[in-house]
Amino acid sequence: MTRLIFWRLLQLPVILAVIFVVTFTLAWIIPGNPLEKPDGQRPDAEISAAILRQYNLDNPWRFAGEYLKGVFTRGDFGPSLRYLDQRVSDIIGQALPVSAAIGTLALAIGLMLGLAAGILGALWPRSPLDLGSLAVAMVGVSLPTFVTGSILLALAAGLFGWAPIGGWTWPGWSVGSQLWWSRAGIMMSHLILPALTLGLAPAAYIARLIRLGLADVMSSDFIRTARAKGLSERQSLFRHALKVAFLPVLSFLGPAAAVTLTGSFVVEQVFAVPGLGEHFVNAVRNKDQFLILGVVLVYSTILIVFNLVVDVAYAWIDPRIEMG
Amino acid sequence: MKQLLLSLAATLLLLLPAGCGDSGPGTGTGPTTAPATGPSAGEPAGDEAEAEFRFVSANEHNFLDPQKISWLHDIRVVDCLFETLVKTSLPSQQIEPGVAEKWEISEDQLTYTFHLRPDARWSNGDPVTANDFLFAWRRALMPDFAADYSQLFFRLKGGEDFFKWRAGTLKEDASGGAAAAVPWKEIAAKFDELVGASAPDPKTLVVRLAEPVPYFLELCAFAPYGPNHAASIEPLLAPDPKSGMYRIDPGYWGDPKKLVCNGPYVIQRRRFRQDLLMAQNPRYWDKASVKNHSILELIIDNPQTALIAYQNGQAHWLPDIPTSSSIAADLVQQGRKDVLASPWAGTYFYNFNCRPTLPDGRKNPLADARVRRALSMTIDRKALVTQVTRLNQPIARTFIPPGCLPGYEPPVEAGAAFDPEGARKLLAEAGYPGGAWLTGLTILYNTGLGHENLAQPIKNSWEKNLGVVVVLEAQEGKTFSERLKKHSFTIARATWTGDYRDATTFLDKFRSDNGNNDAAWSNAEFDGLLDQAAGETDAAKRLATLRKAEELMLKEQPIAPLYQLVTLHVYDPNKIEGIDPNPWNFRRLDHVRVKR
Repeated sequence: MTRLIFWRLLQLPVILAVIFVVTFTLAWIIPGNPLEKPDGQRPDAEISAAILRQYNLDNPWRFAGEYLKGVFTRGDFGPSLRYLDQRVSDIIGQALPVSAAIGTLALAIGLMLGLAAGILGALWPRSPLDLGSLAVAMVGVSLPTFVTGSILLALAAGLFGWAPIGGWTWPGWSVGSQLWWSRAGIMMSHLILPALTLGLAPAAYIARLIRLGLADVMSSDFIRTARAKGLSERQSLFRHALKVAFLPVLSFLGPAAAVTLTGSFVVEQVFAVPGLGEHFVNAVRNKDQFLILGVVLVYSTILIVFNLVVDVAYAWIDPRIEMG
Repeated sequence: MKQLLLSLAATLLLLLPAGCGDSGPGTGTGPTTAPATGPSAGEPAGDEAEAEFRFVSANEHNFLDPQKISWLHDIRVVDCLFETLVKTSLPSQQIEPGVAEKWEISEDQLTYTFHLRPDARWSNGDPVTANDFLFAWRRALMPDFAADYSQLFFRLKGGEDFFKWRAGTLKEDASGGAAAAVPWKEIAAKFDELVGASAPDPKTLVVRLAEPVPYFLELCAFAPYGPNHAASIEPLLAPDPKSGMYRIDPGYWGDPKKLVCNGPYVIQRRRFRQDLLMAQNPRYWDKASVKNHSILELIIDNPQTALIAYQNGQAHWLPDIPTSSSIAADLVQQGRKDVLASPWAGTYFYNFNCRPTLPDGRKNPLADARVRRALSMTIDRKALVTQVTRLNQPIARTFIPPGCLPGYEPPVEAGAAFDPEGARKLLAEAGYPGGAWLTGLTILYNTGLGHENLAQPIKNSWEKNLGVVVVLEAQEGKTFSERLKKHSFTIARATWTGDYRDATTFLDKFRSDNGNNDAAWSNAEFDGLLDQAAGETDAAKRLATLRKAEELMLKEQPIAPLYQLVTLHVYDPNKIEGIDPNPWNFRRLDHVRVKR
């Protein structure tokens, strides 16, 4: 196990280096000047040249050299070319915790709802409960987040006059004279709808995985043995079958966690959440080279780490699986 | 894969408001049925309650450095933070005193002497001096700071010389490195030597112009002409070791602890991509006339979400609903009292490439003015604004929108009116009867902002009425800009908005040597008329010359103007006053009053 972790961590810089080279090349060959507006007055050619020179955008080698120097000597990922008074590290530093908070809650919601629906379905197969949960799961998988998000927001705003838009706060921040728990409440009110929106799709997917996995496992030999030694249906499900049926969920959770924790463009747009998801889309659209590199590197690192965590968890749940 | 899904979702999201406005899940609570008046549950709780006046910006700020800005949403906030020499009062749009309490203009209109008011102070208590303006203007003219509006400072005598001098030293620096960096003092001395701007005493600013600039006071009211608190910025200046360019920690401009302002407000709190809270500047000389004690700018990209925030009373004013979104058209179509499509000093138009040959070397049929005019005459502009954009924008036959410039009446009759029959005749005259042999026409536009909706009916009309074959070509924004700049198109969509209240802000674009002359139209007579107007001190004669120039341009139709742009405002006039929509997007947020 230690060897696995050690080797994987050793691979990390190599993979990141490859990702850097590919992203850098792609970001560089996107046509256009990141610092120019699509419409209206263009600055003089001399001014344009000066703008490009300021950020080493006139020479890819110098850009790469200065960028890597900044990253390794100062931990500085450069300025954003869209938000010119912000550093990429600050942008990611502010946005990632927001996305991670929503993502964690979304994953928790997804896991809880998914497990519950899957297990209920497996316990009473072909019952209205089973069919109902499968139907809901189908809808959950098929509906895009901008539809679910807009419906949730419209319902909350329309029925209760409550729209948690903007004014994102962390419990620790001193906002007026509010107590920390009231601030936590405010924060939760901002979290819950985006998290629910984001968590519905994984919930549906997990429900299906668990439901189908359990159906499969419950007819296998070792469960027959469990039944034979006198365990009830419920006991054999919870004690033995669930563990096995959970394995596919686990492999789904690795990349799902990386995706969920790094935010969703759509959910952030709908709920005006200052998360990381927006930058995945807009950084490319704006040709914000520093930000593109920053978010890609952060995302890749998270993805690799979560895959490692999944592999470790696999080995832990199912000792038969060999790692190396 | 994720990127793919995200971009797919993003595309769908852009389409979403249409669905919500007309039918589907959003209808019950969306803007269509909810009452226009404010919150049902009283004032919002939390942060929003702190601010008296609240509005939504669709974009986070690019920069708040007054000399570098050029985006409207940046200017809107910078205008609150920095006071210029003179200001534009609303709704009259007259120039009124700002930091300068009075000024004199010499008879030859070349020298302006501004007398700064003694009580003008920075937010840290320092007096605002003439040097603070010189410092800011010097920065605006240095390629180091790469200001979008550097060219506006070329109106100062020697402004362009100073810019060129500095660009030259930078080229040398680039090879010599930091050791060769020109000391700041030397740059300042060179500015004083070359540029016609000086401070005989701390409260007097004398400006010499290269030639008469009838709109110079307008420029002085424009944010990039605002002052800097030199005392706090100068210590932050440092030359970049590689390029020798001077830089300032960019964090200065958005940091409430560092930024020193002289306007009606100071930044109290800035949360990136969330909001910006401004509170009244206690040291502002004209505190008494400020009509609200604080302003909160919420950053919300999605217009649907912004509308919910407005409906819930979290925001009083939505100035940034994109007019390309179907949500904008729906709002206007509903005839709501709190929705206003206000004409803007800008035009949506199609560029015709006027070069003799196309990029691929073929002969360019559009080089013939008759072909361009025939195409322009076959666009049913009225149908476009009523059926496609559905915003009922004023249709445009001229490049300068009527009613935007005092004393200037654009030559409407010189423009092209919808006349397919006349167009066919003209085309036959040009050697293309029935559209025969007129090939290779492509309408180039950038994706995602509704431009294809306009291009499609125009293409249809040309094909139906003129018998020509037209191809639509969509490009991503950055590629589109590059193609425009390189004149690599036959027909391309564009917009243009005026920067200052003078006809030249529109007409200079068509000068043969102008970098923004995308149509590549070149006409010596037109250039001559503009030169003649530049040397003219008689205002009426000057305007007449400029009108003649526009008339000449319109006869040649290097562009087909389609309609005048509008800005969409959502606010309830019964709840706030002082927004005063106007074609130039002048804002006086210090004069916005929230009614109780």
